[in-house]
Order: sequence, then structure tokens, then C-alpha cells
Amino acid sequence: MAMTLDLPTETGHRPTLSRRLQRMMAVMRHEPALAIGAILTLVFAYLIVAPVISILLQAILVQAGDSTRLRQEEGALTLYYLARAFASRMSGILLWGPLVNTLSIAAATVTVSVSLGVVLAWLVNRTDLFGRSWFATALIVPFMLPTWTFALAWTTIFKNGVVGGQPGWLQAMGFATPNWLAYGTLPIVVILVLHYTPLVLLIVGNALHRLDVQMEECARILGASPRVIAFSIVLPLVRPALLSAALLIFADCIGEFAVPYILGLPVNYDTLSTGLYRALSSRQTGVAAVLAGAIMIMGVVTLMIDLRMMREARRFVTVGGKGGMQRRQSLGRLRHIAALLPAGVVLIGVALPLLTLFLSTVMILPGRFTPENFTLDYWIGSNLHTVALRSGILLTPDFWAAAWNTVRIVGIAAVLSGTLGLLVGYAVLRSPVRLIGQVLRQITFLPYLVPGIAFAAAFLSLFAVSRGPIPALYGTPVILILALVAEQMPFASRSGIAAMTQLGREPEEAARVAGAGFFIRMRRIIIPIQAGPLATAILLPFISGIKGVSLFVILAVPATDVLTTYSLRLLDYNYDQAANAVVLMIALIAWLGTVLIQRICGTGLARGLES
Amino acid sequence: MPDIILQGLTKTYTKGATPAVDRVSLTVPHGEFLCLLGPSGCGKTTILRMIAGIEHASGGTILMDGEAVDSVEQSRFVPPERRRVGLVFQNYALWPHMTVARNVDFGLRLQNVSPAEREARCRDVMTKLKIADYAKRYPAQLSGGQQQRVALARMLALNPDVLLLDEPLSNLDAALRLEMRAELRRIHETFGTTIIFVSHDQWEAMTLATTIAVMDRGQLQQVGTPDEIYARPANRFVAEFIGNPRINMVNLADTPAGAGQGLAAHLIRRLPAGAGAVACGIRPEEIRLVPDVSPDALPVTVAGIMPTGGSWVIELAHGEDRLFFSTQSRPRLKPAETVGCLLPDEALHLFNAEGRRLTIPGFGLSEAA
Repeated sequence: MAMTLDLPTETGHRPTLSRRLQRMMAVMRHEPALAIGAILTLVFAYLIVAPVISILLQAILVQAGDSTRLRQEEGALTLYYLARAFASRMSGILLWGPLVNTLSIAAATVTVSVSLGVVLAWLVNRTDLFGRSWFATALIVPFMLPTWTFALAWTTIFKNGVVGGQPGWLQAMGFATPNWLAYGTLPIVVILVLHYTPLVLLIVGNALHRLDVQMEECARILGASPRVIAFSIVLPLVRPALLSAALLIFADCIGEFAVPYILGLPVNYDTLSTGLYRALSSRQTGVAAVLAGAIMIMGVVTLMIDLRMMREARRFVTVGGKGGMQRRQSLGRLRHIAALLPAGVVLIGVALPLLTLFLSTVMILPGRFTPENFTLDYWIGSNLHTVALRSGILLTPDFWAAAWNTVRIVGIAAVLSGTLGLLVGYAVLRSPVRLIGQVLRQITFLPYLVPGIAFAAAFLSLFAVSRGPIPALYGTPVILILALVAEQMPFASRSGIAAMTQLGREPEEAARVAGAGFFIRMRRIIIPIQAGPLATAILLPFISGIKGVSLFVILAVPATDVLTTYSLRLLDYNYDQAANAVVLMIALIAWLGTVLIQRICGTGLARGLES
Repeated sequence: MPDIILQGLTKTYTKGATPAVDRVSLTVPHGEFLCLLGPSGCGKTTILRMIAGIEHASGGTILMDGEAVDSVEQSRFVPPERRRVGLVFQNYALWPHMTVARNVDFGLRLQNVSPAEREARCRDVMTKLKIADYAKRYPAQLSGGQQQRVALARMLALNPDVLLLDEPLSNLDAALRLEMRAELRRIHETFGTTIIFVSHDQWEAMTLATTIAVMDRGQLQQVGTPDEIYARPANRFVAEFIGNPRINMVNLADTPAGAGQGLAAHLIRRLPAGAGAVACGIRPEEIRLVPDVSPDALPVTVAGIMPTGGSWVIELAHGEDRLFFSTQSRPRLKPAETVGCLLPDEALHLFNAEGRRLTIPGFGLSEAA
């Protein structure tokens, strides 16, 4: 047997640089992950980094139209906008007022929705509550509906005479609704609480679900009372999930646009995002940039805290035992009475708004519940006696054109972002150069910190005119698609990375050894195995794209009318019934899409949100 | 003759860190059944992955059939898809979305083999591995043993020049391990392929391989037949790593020349002066027990008797020192009983200060044996 054994000897000199480069080329030629990573980095640098930088620059450069007032060249460095926003006679209106409003809305929403969500999560996951499993599904529905569905339902009921147009039901029935009830902080907080409580329920419920029941049993054996167990065992263990939910909601509230747009803007109640919109519409791009920067900084700080918390949470990763057995606390006779709480939430969060919106679409005059006041004309009528929109929504070509536009634009964007997300996952996990993976991870997450309105504004300024090889995109669906893709990348890339992590390297390596090149591996191994996550990664952006308002408000033009802008325009022209009908259709599409996701990947929604 | 030759193969994951594989040179002749054996983290799987091509070397060369498939010096790298190797992963890595049949014929489909031939080859391999009945099933519907057969069939269908296996028996239960062991030996005989497998389990290595390469901390420690490795460990690491129960290792370095009653003193007195041995090992089954204490026989007390099912491990105490003795026959000893213990010269493994095996002419086992 010719078996040799050479014990290690000192190897000689290092090979020369050109040798090393040649070697690197020889290896990298077969590592497409690197090329993919490099290309993706360039794409996102253009789609995400460039807009963000351009927003931030606008805050310190003299903007078009301001050069005469500032006596400076357009594009010169200036502190004018910062000074105007932070320390001028106007700053109370421009920044501080909206900032206080934004923060108080966010803080109130977080406090109420987290407390309510925890109680509900406990009831639904850990007790023998009456109708438990039904509530588990029903309580999630508000999260599937666009926030402004609730806002429109609210105005339908509470709108008062301060703003023109059709009055709210209460006003129409003779009750004067005070301003604090009709507009501003209270309704906005109520609506955001309704929308985000399900998120707490999902995240905390998921953590409760994974909590090893043996830890509680151990405490019980040691003689701890249920109260002690709840406060010294369970609560500390789900605290990371709780904080994570709280910070996510906080960050989302700060960027929320649609609800204050409907419930605040008409009475000059501004949050940072509506203030930003106002500044943009009044062509104060510099001030708008400052506001956008302020929102971004708050988002960054919140997420840094979240990251730190998550890192600390990882220290006790006991959550996730194999104790699949769940012990439910018996509520005894209280199990029916306790059900009133979730029932109330479902009633106020789902039944009431949807019913209100639906009723509003079949009533001619608001708030008059007499038989002759009901009609289906706004849905399927024709030859109506109105100036425009002479037929019901479902018979109006404009509606179908907008619907088709929506599905087409949002659909293409969703497919693109899902695919890009998976590719990001591939590049991040497979790239032999770690730096590229890290850069991609960070870049794709960046849009999460940028309010949609600010992002849309940046896209407008960057891509409206032709730059280099890229033609002017304003007015084309392309700009909307690109903006949507960029906006959805945080979710798409995260789910792509998660999916690729779960898959591991080996199925692909096995295919390599079996002789499969890159494209065959992609087509026959990776994509088929990842079909489920890919479908989710496409559907999730689709739903949030359909619900989205802020990008469309800025970037859509009549030629690229989508359902959201269509309904907002109907609202502006006081075709309230028709507008609400369109909103209901959007809610229906969003809800169907979410149900579809749940079908495809079980509880994937909760998992996707938490990580 | 597709020999596989590794020359100074090195793999460093992070610059400046200790290499995972450190200058390993090894020739694997055609038809060899070789085991890379070592504790976890010793770099054995990395070598396997480098041979497959899914990892690339940081230094050195891999030659297959005389051609450099990975060479830092020559700047060459042949990707795995062109190496004609088969790799069976530890967790099998079957493609969950394909049936057993599709898993097996995946590689052949890529090679433009005619459907008839493809069919025939797959059927042949699947029949040989007794998985033809499951052809229509998905991997999730198979047991661990069946999954492993599919993973093997998937690679064997391609008729690779060399078959690489990562811990082939470790995920199987006791009964299946025996069955699979026989299966792998049969595959080696029928297909005649070179097989290189990785294991941390000496039982797996001893029972399967014709040659074992022992590794530790990225470096090759010894290459030889299972017998050679066991009977003549090249260094202290190999001596202590191979064998169950472990070899009794007596430290001779701290004992002043021949003083005292301890085990070390006893051994030092027996060695020729100036031999330079700092450690002496003796395998538990090579110890002899005699009823009476004599000048040759060390007095020991029975400190514990542990039945291990078919054999017994007995803990012997000599003052502060402990020795483990193992036997296949039921011991007629009682706890605390004192007996005589013989440590035959030819059973002593001596190691020098560097840990290398030490041969003393005229003492114990002669190197020519």
C-alpha cells in the first residue's frame, strides 16, 4: 500500500500578489453569490441610499425657488431650513407642535395597545376563555385592514360641521360631536390602538406559546402562586417580545401618515408626517427634508434600542423548549364574562368599522336609518343624478382601471421585491466576502427608518427628471414600482435571509456535487424548496402595497391611478359613499391576501413580524 | 489510476487564526477505504469538503488522477460540479421537494444520459440499495436509514471516482448501524470506488476502514491500518484517542528516578536508564491479574467493578494510582480484594517529551514486529 505520511513542515514564502489574485479569480468564478451581492448592492445603492442621501442633503442645501429669498445660489450650503424648523417664529407650527403630537400619539398608542394586547394574549393563549380559538383568529383581523379604513369609519360616524361635506351620522341625527371626539389625538390613538393591538397579540402570543410550560410547573411545585408565576417567571421571559412589539409599534406610529391625514389635516392638527406632506405641497422642500430627517432619527434611535434589547434577550434563549404541552388556566365561571373583553375589541375593531363603512355605502343621506334612505346605487346603480360618477362603483370603468392598475403595479413590485429579497438572502448567506453580506443587510433595512412620505418625495426629486442613462420616470408606473420595491425591501430581505438561513447550505452543495451549475441549482433546488417563503415574500409586500397611501399620494398621477388615490380623490370631491365602497374593496383584497399567506405558511405571519 | 493526493493542504477561515486544516499531506490510492478519524473540530470534515470542492484550500494542492483540482500555488480551482466526486452529508441533505426517484436521477438528468439508460442505472442503484420500493415517496416519508440509502444512491448513480461520506453511521440507531456498516463494505466491494469517510467514532472507523488517518487540531497524526493504529500508536494523542476503555497513561516525568512505591516509580525502575520516556501507556486488556503478589506483580486493590455488557472494566488501585483493567471473562474478584498485577514489557507504549512514540532496542515490542 503506497501510503505516505509527511508530517507538517514549515511552508515557504507567501505567493505573490498576482498569484493570489489569479487564485481568487479561479475560486470566485464559481461563486455567483459574490457577483449577485455586488450587483444587488449597486441596485440598492441607487434605489435606497441615493434617495435617503438626497433627502438629507435637501435639508442643508438651498432649494429651487429659495435662492432670491436667501440671497444664495441654488444648491449652496445653508442652515436656513434647520434654523427655520428648529428656532424661528414658525418652528412651533412646523416642528415642535407636530413633534409633540406625534410623540404623544405614539406613546399613548404603545401604552394602551401593549397593555390591552398582553391581557388578550394571555386570555387567548393561556386560559379556557369562552370561544378561545375563534377569538385567536378574529382578533387579528384589524391588523389586516388598512389603518385608514378605521379613520374613514370614524369620520363617517363622528364628523362634525367644522369641515364641509356630508356630516357624520351623529351630527346628522342632531348630536353635535365636539372637536376632540371628531378629530385629533383621541380618534387617532383609538384607531392606532385598534390596528396595533393584534400585533402585540401575535408577537407576545407567539412568545407565550413557545414558553416551556415546565418552567411554570417547576415554580408551581416550589409553591409559587399563579400571581408570582405570572410576574416573576412568565413576564420576565416574554419581556423581550413585549419590548420588541412596543418599539415596532412606536416606530410605525411615528411614520403613520394615512390616519392623521384623514383625522388631523382637515383641522390643521399636524403630526410630523402630515407636516412633511404639508411642507411638500407648499413647496418647502428644505423644511420637509428637516422633518423627514427628524422622523428618520427617531426611527433609528428606536431601532437601535430594539437591537440592543434583542441582543440582551438572546442571553436567555430558554424560550423555545420542547414542552409542547400547554396548560391552560381555568377561569371557572369567569370564562364567559372574560370573553366580553375580546368580544368588545372585535366589535369595535372589526364589526363596527366595517359595518359603518358598508352602511355608509348604501345610504343616501348619512345617519338616517329609514328604509327609503337605503340603496345599492353606489355599488351597482346606473344613470344616477350626479355631476360625475353617474354609475355605481362596480360599474364605473375608472374603478376597474384603478383596480387593474393597482394589481399590476403593486403586483409587479411585489414579485420584484420577493425575488430580490430571496436573492439578498442568498447573497448575504453565501457571499464569501462577509462585508458584502453586511452591507446588503443594512442597506435593505434602511427604508424601514424612512417615512414613506419622505421616501416618495426623494424619489420624486431624484427620478422625476432624466439622470444619466435613466429617463425621466415621473408619471410612469416605473417610478411607483421602484419606490414600492425600495419601501418593501426591509420585509422582503428579512424574510429572504430567514428562509435561506433555515434552508442551510447542504441541499445546494449536494446539487453542486451532483453536477448542477448555478442556474440549475437555483431553478431546481433553491426556488422549489423556497416556494412557500417566496410566496409569502411576494404576498406580504403585495398586501402592504395595496394598503399603502403615502407613496401613491406623492407619486401617482391620473394615468397611474390606483385604488388608494382613486378613493382619496373621491373623498376630496365628497363622493363619500363611493370612496368608502372603494376602501371596502381594498380591505377585502388585503384581507384575502393575508388569509392566503396564513394558509401557505401557517403561523408564519407572527414569526415573520418578530424576528 | 485516480489516486487522490493531498499536498500540504491548509485551510484558514480567518486571517491569523489557527488553521482548521494544517499542512496535511496524504495519498489515497485507488480503491482505498479510508477513514479520517479525529475529535470534533479537528478539521476532518473540512478536508472532505475541500476534496469535494465545496470549500477551497487556503494553501497546498489537491491532485485527483494526476490533475490539480485545487491548487493555491498553481491558482487552479475545479468546481465540485466537474470533479466526479460523490458526497453524502451527515444529515443526508436530500431535496425535500423531489421524490426518491427524482433525487436519485437528478445528476443523470444533468448529464444528458438517455432516458432509457438513466432509468436502468437508477433502478440498478436503487435495487442494490434496497430502496426501489420507495421510489415514489418523498424524503420526509422515509426513516433515517432509508434516507441515508437514498443519499448514497443519489451519488452512486453518477458512478463517481470517489465517494465521500460525512459521519456515515452516526445518525443511525444501533441495529441500523450494523446493517449499514455491512452495506457500506458491500458497496465498496461491488462498486470498487475509493471511499473516504469522516468519523469521530473509533468503532465506526475500526470496523469500516481499511486505512485510518488520525487527525487532531488540523494536523495529521498517524496513517495506518486499524491494527497498526491500535497496536502501535505513533504518538500520545493517538494512543489516548483510540481504545475504549481508554489506555492507562502513566506520567513518568514528575517522579524522581526510581524513588518511592508509586506506579511511575515501578515503571521507571523497569526501563533502561536514560531512555527519555516521559509517559508510559498500557491498554486495559493487556494488563494481567495474578492471584498472588510477587516481585514482578504489583500489589493492587480492586476499587470497583463495572460490567459493560459482555465485558467488565475493573478499577485497580495501587496507592494513589489508578489503573483500569478490562476483561471478556467474568472476573472472580471482590471489591477491596488485593491481587497481583502484571504489566508485560511488550504491552508498554512509551512516549518521549514531544509525545512521539519511543522505541528502545531490546525492550518490549520491537519495531519490526
